[in-house]
Amino acid sequence: MDLLLHLCVVIAIYAIFALSLNVEVGYTGLFNFGHVAFFGIGAYTSALLTLAGIPFIWSLPAALFMAGLCGFLLSIPALKLQGDYFGIATLGFGEILRMIVNNEVWLTKGPMGLPGIPRPELFGIVFDSLPRYLVLSSGFALLTFSILAFVVLSPFGRALKAVRDDETAAEILGKNAYRFKIKSFAIGSVFAGLAGVLWAHYTTFIGPGDFTLTETILVLLIVVMGGKGTFLGPVAGAVVLIVFQESVRFLRLPPEWTRLLGPLQQMIFGLLLVVLMVFRPEGIIREKGAKR
Amino acid sequence: MDSISYYLQTVLNGILAGCIYALFAMGLTLIYGVLNFVNFAHGELIMWGAYFLFLFMGEPFGLPLYVAVFPALALTGCLGLAMDYSVFRPIRRANRLTLLIAAMGLSVFLRNAAQFFWGAEVRTYGFEVKAGTQFLGLYLTTQQFAIIGVTILCVIAVYLLFFKSRLGKSMRALSDNLDLARISGIDTKRAILAAWVISAVLAAIGGILLALDTNLHPEMGIANLIKAFAATLIGGVGNLWGALLGGLLIGLAENIGVLFISPGYKDGIAFVIMVLILLARPYVIIGERSD
Repeated sequence: MDLLLHLCVVIAIYAIFALSLNVEVGYTGLFNFGHVAFFGIGAYTSALLTLAGIPFIWSLPAALFMAGLCGFLLSIPALKLQGDYFGIATLGFGEILRMIVNNEVWLTKGPMGLPGIPRPELFGIVFDSLPRYLVLSSGFALLTFSILAFVVLSPFGRALKAVRDDETAAEILGKNAYRFKIKSFAIGSVFAGLAGVLWAHYTTFIGPGDFTLTETILVLLIVVMGGKGTFLGPVAGAVVLIVFQESVRFLRLPPEWTRLLGPLQQMIFGLLLVVLMVFRPEGIIREKGAKR
Repeated sequence: MDSISYYLQTVLNGILAGCIYALFAMGLTLIYGVLNFVNFAHGELIMWGAYFLFLFMGEPFGLPLYVAVFPALALTGCLGLAMDYSVFRPIRRANRLTLLIAAMGLSVFLRNAAQFFWGAEVRTYGFEVKAGTQFLGLYLTTQQFAIIGVTILCVIAVYLLFFKSRLGKSMRALSDNLDLARISGIDTKRAILAAWVISAVLAAIGGILLALDTNLHPEMGIANLIKAFAATLIGGVGNLWGALLGGLLIGLAENIGVLFISPGYKDGIAFVIMVLILLARPYVIIGERSD
């Protein structure tokens, strides 16, 4: 039972993470390969603030603001780049962030990580048990889903798609593609920060090892496999892949196997990405009206 | 060591690192020029090149370095071809995001395959560490002499290939305009295959030199990928000599930069340079594409 609840909490957190990436990759066509950086910024900001005694109700908005601000600041130079090079710039940013976390020991305790992050408390309720945390994280997942659905269905969302499908045409119609991309990136960063906050207060321990390229690949795979540019795609992808990843972890295999299991699992993820791109680039759920 | 030779040594170390980055960047920029996409799996060619050499030098082959290099380079070349054949050729006409994600997936697969077979631990080729020879007041190990020598040889070979041979000319034509090259009767398939082999072999040579000078581990490719990217950006995408120059610049900047900032941030210097270049001339890269 606990395993099931744990699975649901992780799925809810990764669904938020994937939905946020979907705004960028799916709806705006931005190749963000450093999305984990914003997850990490959210996690560290909220963890550091609550460890300093600031209540969760203040640390949460502060963390979201930080993630959004960093996304905004990074996107100003990075979005002047076309496609692939934007991917490289974000990849580099992810690495830089990990370097900062590792080196600024006075702030982040470096590779030691931050233990004992308090459970969140909102309106007098402490979310300290699994069922309660599930309520909190699925509540936020629902909120994220609704907000992002609203954003994407609004005229703003249609402009993002226009920028994705034909930037020149969007510009001719008077849409400033660069500004739309910055806004999309900032929105994505805020919600990645939210996923990070929920993650930090769920595991109660975070370290630089939690925010590697592997996480970015996982969330990218979730979006791509579920169906980029769709509402339910990232959620479906999160369910499938998190169940796969977490159940492998609970398989009680002999220790000499577990050493091989990590790389093997990553090999499967990598292969899945390749196979999907070659045979079904649109993912499980196909976007309506999308060209093959 | 007095301070002047200390600074000179730093510059020398920068050139050594730069030679290796240049080899990485030249291969990367070559594929970019010919196929017009950034091969995110290029780092894995670097790493597999080094591990193939490790394979042939260890049991059951036990070949000496000078012999083992050849099958290692050949296998890496085949790996490059296999990447193209199995992944990139079927989706050559797909959109950029598809190509990029496929390359990313391939990179994850190959990196973890190496970890699966050889483990995550740091390995070496098993040469004993010797003190460097003194040369004009500077210290250089045998491996470091090899880095400079081999890089110069590679640059000469690339020059001869690209500017003196028919194959090289056809690759340059492809890089300029694929469709025009095709209707001019150039065998584009052959040129693309050749580009993959050359790119992979350059990556393997760089990877082997890096591993000889330092060590092998499954992350060595991806760790150097960003530097190769930065070098290609400095040089202008698709420009071989630019990549060479860019690689040297990144190597120098990293080693000189460490005199001023904490060594923990050494790997971030390339990224910062990249961002600065983008801020200074942001539209250079955008203007180059015609698709």
